[in-house]
Amino acid sequence: MRKLAESLLPFAFGAVVVAAWEIAVRAGDIPAYILPGPLSILRALAVNRADLLAGLGVTVQVTLLALILAAITGAGFAFALSQSKLIERTLFPYAVILQVTPIVTVAPFVIIWVDDIFAVLLILAWMAAVFPIISNTLFGLKSVDPNLRDLFRLYGATRAQIALRLLAPATLPHFMSGLKIAGGLSLIGTVVAEMVAGTSGERSGLASRLLEASYRLELAKALACFVLLGLTGLIIYAALDWLSRRTLRHWHDSARDSERTGD
Amino acid sequence: MTEPLLSLTGVAHVFPNGTRALQPVDLNIIAGSFVSLVGPSGCGKSTLLRIASGLLSPQTGRVARSFVAKPGDVGFVFQDPTLMPWATVTGNVALPLELAGIPEAPVKARAALNGVDLKDFADAYPRELSGGMRMRVSIARATVTNPRLLLMDEPFAALDEFTRFKLNDDLLRLWQANRWTVVFVTHSVREAVFLSERIVVMTPRPGRIVADIAVNLPATRDAELRLGHAFADECAKVTHALEAAMQAAAVIV
Repeated sequence: MRKLAESLLPFAFGAVVVAAWEIAVRAGDIPAYILPGPLSILRALAVNRADLLAGLGVTVQVTLLALILAAITGAGFAFALSQSKLIERTLFPYAVILQVTPIVTVAPFVIIWVDDIFAVLLILAWMAAVFPIISNTLFGLKSVDPNLRDLFRLYGATRAQIALRLLAPATLPHFMSGLKIAGGLSLIGTVVAEMVAGTSGERSGLASRLLEASYRLELAKALACFVLLGLTGLIIYAALDWLSRRTLRHWHDSARDSERTGD
Repeated sequence: MTEPLLSLTGVAHVFPNGTRALQPVDLNIIAGSFVSLVGPSGCGKSTLLRIASGLLSPQTGRVARSFVAKPGDVGFVFQDPTLMPWATVTGNVALPLELAGIPEAPVKARAALNGVDLKDFADAYPRELSGGMRMRVSIARATVTNPRLLLMDEPFAALDEFTRFKLNDDLLRLWQANRWTVVFVTHSVREAVFLSERIVVMTPRPGRIVADIAVNLPATRDAELRLGHAFADECAKVTHALEAAMQAAAVIV
């Protein structure tokens, strides 16, 4: 009972803040182009739902596709780096440069070099998402128990057997924590890319529509976009967290419930 | 005299950092025998074992085996259980068979688990087991291929004494039933005397063999043996050899 009450606390807090907001806007007679109340944001959400859902579709598509690409290329790149100290020393600095360069500064060039706007968004979101996957996977590959490596060697395991039966499962927890970070970054990358690329029309994402609405002082609509983007980030994180627990539940401490077995 | 199963001649090893791990060592292991390597930390026991397994190539000297080793002919038990946490107990024990593509690996793995009294834990994950049970899994994995040579590197060092005695008893029973050739590294004299037919005493810096002692105890042994005079006498013999060598070499530990 107490637990249930505690889990409802954040919702109660949110409800109080939203109610206070609505009351303040009405009592203070604040104009809608400065700060609309929660109810008018809800109204904007309902009125523009076709428009907003189309935008959300584009943003989610770019985010997920960039995340999948980042997962595949990041894991592959980390595996390549782990194969030789020399390769790692040669290439890892470039992965770091990729990470520390703000994608806003790269965006104008990508827009010039790549015609297709969807591809532009995808490249920029991928750039934002790939690094944590590379660095976490690489860390995982380096942390594989050397005795287990010896054991596989002793039993004459082939390179493919070592990769699939030892390296892949041993690295999975680290890859998963990289993926969870990358999920949020991929959405941020997509949003920033949309805002810089300034797309409009049918194929524009939610962030472009947010920007457009704010230029027109349609703040209720802009905030509706904002709310949807926030929810999307939350859902992506929850989904990846679920996936991580699901894949690691039998054996990894990160997926462990509070239950502990003593001896 | 029969040809030894494993024969090390003039084997020496220096680590890349310059530490002399092993001074030239000669050692012959007869098929079906249980030999312990005893000595303090840093005497090169583990290095010798890794060389015997083929995981490490000695810088000088020769390692000869009376058989052509295929994967699975050499079993290795590490100081840690070294299990794959993502695989079940059966999956861990079946690994050597599966890597070699041997059919019915899970069936054979279950039989090996039976031998170490873990058949009720076949589907458990390593984290659900106690330290002693994990070591049993490790032993089942090392013996599931019925190896020609079983190498054990201080397998029970991390266990409490009660568990350690129990595992000693069980290992002895398994060895008496299967007669694997075992080379067992330990720093416990009592454990070595209880298990072995022969004890090779080593001292550190650099590691070398200082005594090779035959254990004068009945071939069939059980837990009762630990309480008798004969056992205490054999322990004293090994301890004296070890202390004499340490003093002669002025080794400070």
